Amino acid sequence: MSGEVILEIKGLNKHFGPTYANKNVDLKLRRGEVRGLIGENGSGKSTLLSQIAGLYRPDSGEMLVKGEPYAPHSPIDANRHGISMVMQELGVVGNLPAGVNVFLGRTGQFAKGGVVDLNALNKAAAAQFAKWDLPMPPLNQLTDGMMIETRKMIELARALSIDPDILLLDEVTQSLSLNNRDKLYALIRRFKEMDRAVVVITHDIEEMIRITDTITVLRDGEVVGEVRSAETTLDEIRMMMVGRQVSGEYYRADMTPTYSDEVVLRVKDLSVPHELEDISFEVHAGEILGFCGLSDAGIHSIGKAVYGLSKPSKGTVHMVPTDTDIHSAPQALANFMGYVPKDRDNEALMIHANIRDNSVLPSVEELKGKAGLLAPRKLSRMAEGIRERFSVKTTGVGQTMNALSGGNKQKVNLGRWLAKDLKLLILDCPTRGVDVGVKANIYALMKEAKKDNIATILISDELTEVLGMADRLLVMKDGRITKEIRRDEDFTEQSVIGEMI
Amino acid sequence: MKKGFDLKKLRLSDLVPFIAFVVLLVFFAVATGGKMFSSYSLQKLIEQSILTIIAASGVLFVVAQGSIDLTVGVNVALSGVVGLHVAQVTGIGWLMIPVSLAVGLLMGLLNGVIVAKCHVPSFTLSIAMLIGVRGIVNYIQTIVGVEYVPASMTFITASGVRIAAFFVLLLVMIYIFEFTRVGRYSRAIGENETTARFVGIPVDKMKILVFALSGLMAGFGSVFSIAAVGGTTQTMGSFLEMQVAMAIFFGGVLVTGGSSAKFYKVILGSLSITIIVYGLSLMGMSESHISQSVEGILLLLILFITILTNRQKKLKTEHKEEA
Repeated sequence: MSGEVILEIKGLNKHFGPTYANKNVDLKLRRGEVRGLIGENGSGKSTLLSQIAGLYRPDSGEMLVKGEPYAPHSPIDANRHGISMVMQELGVVGNLPAGVNVFLGRTGQFAKGGVVDLNALNKAAAAQFAKWDLPMPPLNQLTDGMMIETRKMIELARALSIDPDILLLDEVTQSLSLNNRDKLYALIRRFKEMDRAVVVITHDIEEMIRITDTITVLRDGEVVGEVRSAETTLDEIRMMMVGRQVSGEYYRADMTPTYSDEVVLRVKDLSVPHELEDISFEVHAGEILGFCGLSDAGIHSIGKAVYGLSKPSKGTVHMVPTDTDIHSAPQALANFMGYVPKDRDNEALMIHANIRDNSVLPSVEELKGKAGLLAPRKLSRMAEGIRERFSVKTTGVGQTMNALSGGNKQKVNLGRWLAKDLKLLILDCPTRGVDVGVKANIYALMKEAKKDNIATILISDELTEVLGMADRLLVMKDGRITKEIRRDEDFTEQSVIGEMI
Repeated sequence: MKKGFDLKKLRLSDLVPFIAFVVLLVFFAVATGGKMFSSYSLQKLIEQSILTIIAASGVLFVVAQGSIDLTVGVNVALSGVVGLHVAQVTGIGWLMIPVSLAVGLLMGLLNGVIVAKCHVPSFTLSIAMLIGVRGIVNYIQTIVGVEYVPASMTFITASGVRIAAFFVLLLVMIYIFEFTRVGRYSRAIGENETTARFVGIPVDKMKILVFALSGLMAGFGSVFSIAAVGGTTQTMGSFLEMQVAMAIFFGGVLVTGGSSAKFYKVILGSLSITIIVYGLSLMGMSESHISQSVEGILLLLILFITILTNRQKKLKTEHKEEA
């Protein structure tokens, strides 16, 4: 494992439409190493392997193989660099015989005067099965109708036939029976002894810990951790995969606060009669600052007060990037703040107005043209943009708001702010009354906002949500802040509830 | 202005003012034996609706916000009387226009500040102003009497000048209402004032602004009124506020304002009201008591239709939310 680095990946990104399949992936694979890639469905494992194998091209980032820049334009090209892959989905051509499948795309080497010499080909194929100690299928038979296990073996033989330095195995074991699994394990061990490298994807965590040296955990396309197989446990891996709780699979998985030093908002000694008392805190760029407390703790007053909607008796709300004290909501709006209040239908949206009017409302100043003109086409374009980017399910932007489901209303509500150039976003119970899918969507948007260096104040009645998303958490009681907990400290429900009561 | 006009998107409540307009037109065309469509009548119709449309175009902003301005009638009287008097006293004829506008604007500004800052309901304020200011106007008129357009300004009495000025003003107001921040924010305030505040719209400022605008339009109205008659009268602007309110609501704008406030509705509503008044006079029912009772009955009818279509809309909404 201390061998030389054979494959290095730096800042790899891959999008499919608006969703990130891989985001800033860094990875170093050494000679003699067996690496496991694990993560939930859609976490980007297969996408990552496919890029290494030349099936997809990365959007950005670079790869180095044996120290040389590596940008494969096809699987064959990858093969030339000593990399081959066994794919998760079956990758044999059914109406070709098994032997031909082993040398698919490379049958030219057996051609004699334009005709492929099948005998020579089958001989070479048989040699591969023997060399790697794999059970030999009937080489002249079409692969159609063969058992999955057999077809997998043909694929494996094909991958091995190029004598690869790096072997990529995507979910191979799940289609193998026990004895063939042992053969595969033996094969992996042999690769290790040959000072080559293997990358394995499997959903069986126990198996992965057993057969690998190191494990890389992916979540939402990002690498969230790398552990030594010998030192980890099933629970640790599982926790890294799904985040804090199995029920909240959409939360953040990392347990360290990550944000810049740049202060965006500085609140000092803020008091609002009967609501808040001596509130002081700072929010940083790229930070999610959580607020939680019991029902009368005053957390919902925080959002209002920061956005200039309350009449404070003392204290200041200072927007650092523009060096302005905020005294009113119009000022907050002009100083790159956004506010998503708790009561969607009564405080946030004009439910009898259409989606277009609701979407453009916070951006009217920016949309203004010459002579104050708000060109209808410009407004529609913006509303359409929001509708598409946040996939609002509707018949069109002319539809009235109250015809939408709660989740879609919230998409408009949140989207119209994220469509702006914000520095601070205040979210008060952003996932109230929306279904799981939209919830996940909203958390993803929050992560995106965090990446974009937007400071977020997350006020929520759902403790798990705050614990799942926040970098720091401020606990409130009777209008005062009583405790600050960082993500890498005692960030558990028990400890927070203890502070809340 | 509107591309891809989609019939399916038209709601019944949007069609009512069109239907009413056509029905009225046909009815009076038949009842007056075609006199309604003579070129003389048509020109008369437009001229008579000018004052209503001008005043209503300002009040529309206030109504869009869910408020009401019933002071436009007395405002027309006050600014007209004061403006003309200043022109007479100073001997500078053109002063009547800027002074009338300034008086109208100031009165609107006062209304706006009281509504926005003292949280007095606009309806209550309007009625108080209506009575109080009318008293002041009457007092002034007992001193200065009826005055006439100064000789240097008689060109404004030419109907061509008035109609041209009217169309310019109309286009400006349509632009402001439909295509600028002021109109958009006003409709947003009418839709949901809390939302408007929470988004960061300067609600108080917008309220003051639209009352001031309404006052300014009343100031313009006074100039048009004087130009049409040739001077001030004892009954100048009386019941104009009612005519304006009827025009706006007849046109299909809801009392609650918001998205239902559209400029074309004001034009349609104003024309309809004028057709009723003018049509009745053509039929020989010029005695004001008859025409006024007909107007009153029509207003009631409109309110009924408005409330009914509104209730249907609400019911539909509730059903959707349940589902």
